[in-house]
Amino acid sequence: MPISLYPISMMNRKSIIVIVAFITVIGVVGYKYLYQDHREIDSEDVVAALTSESISEIFKHDAANDLLNATVSVKGVISEVDGRIITLDDMVTCSFTSEISGFNIGDTLTVKGRCIGYDDLFELVKLDQCSLLNKN
Amino acid sequence: MKKLLFILSVLMLVSVSAFGQSKLKTKSGTINFEASVPSFEEVKAINKDVSAILNTETGEFAALALMKGFRFKIALMEEHFNENYVESSKFPKAVFKGTIVNFNKDAVSDTPTEFEINGSITLHGVTWDINVPVKIWREDQFTVLSTDFKLKPTDFDIKIPAIVSKKVAEEVEVNANFSLSN
Repeated sequence: MPISLYPISMMNRKSIIVIVAFITVIGVVGYKYLYQDHREIDSEDVVAALTSESISEIFKHDAANDLLNATVSVKGVISEVDGRIITLDDMVTCSFTSEISGFNIGDTLTVKGRCIGYDDLFELVKLDQCSLLNKN
Repeated sequence: MKKLLFILSVLMLVSVSAFGQSKLKTKSGTINFEASVPSFEEVKAINKDVSAILNTETGEFAALALMKGFRFKIALMEEHFNENYVESSKFPKAVFKGTIVNFNKDAVSDTPTEFEINGSITLHGVTWDINVPVKIWREDQFTVLSTDFKLKPTDFDIKIPAIVSKKVAEEVEVNANFSLSN
């Protein structure tokens, strides 16, 4: 019997290729799943367009389950600016990822952000990962 | 009668403003926690939007962190934390309420002074009493409060599934920092 140049027969080579491809696909899919990207709030569509009053009412009546973790837009008048955080009408705080400037008390804004819940201490609805939609 | 009402309302206003001045607060306190195990993926999160109020007359301190405000490096870990472990839709916040023992606002200086704080943490629907040291000092217009302590997820009825239990420490190291001002 001649010594085969390829110790593995054609049949076996095919199945090895299939197995390797399969493992690679599983690996890539698994890696993508484990290390998936964070949500990008500023590129998401808003689930609800609200005003500082309407969102605050929703939370005071404990009817906010649909809003938790959702991307919303809120319109209101700035009542406080502090570092990364803007407060609208003393009812909603919008936390930006980095320091912000050029905002003054009294400006009317529409801000997009992720609604993370209601703060009973200050009686405020909190948004994080905010971005500015509109400045009037 | 009108005069009496007037005096009463003035008195109320005065007391309200005096009350207001003894309270220091922040909306941007930070809480870090870490439950990493060596040689596994780090389990670490930060919340930079923690609210806190300190009453400088009584030493009473309260802090509130929204669970969804904890950010992890790995998105999937953040999802598991919210959905499986702390169930943040059902229990959206963690609250600390307590008192700084023998707090005296005049004892606060530029150098950190150690106090003790007694109180309870409520999270995941469970209230747990804690008693931990806290460092307090003054920095510009801020009164800074900083504390490190450990919590056990099991004390708060948070179950870590067996499959990942080796990758998550049994004790979670927590660090909280609050720069409080008027």
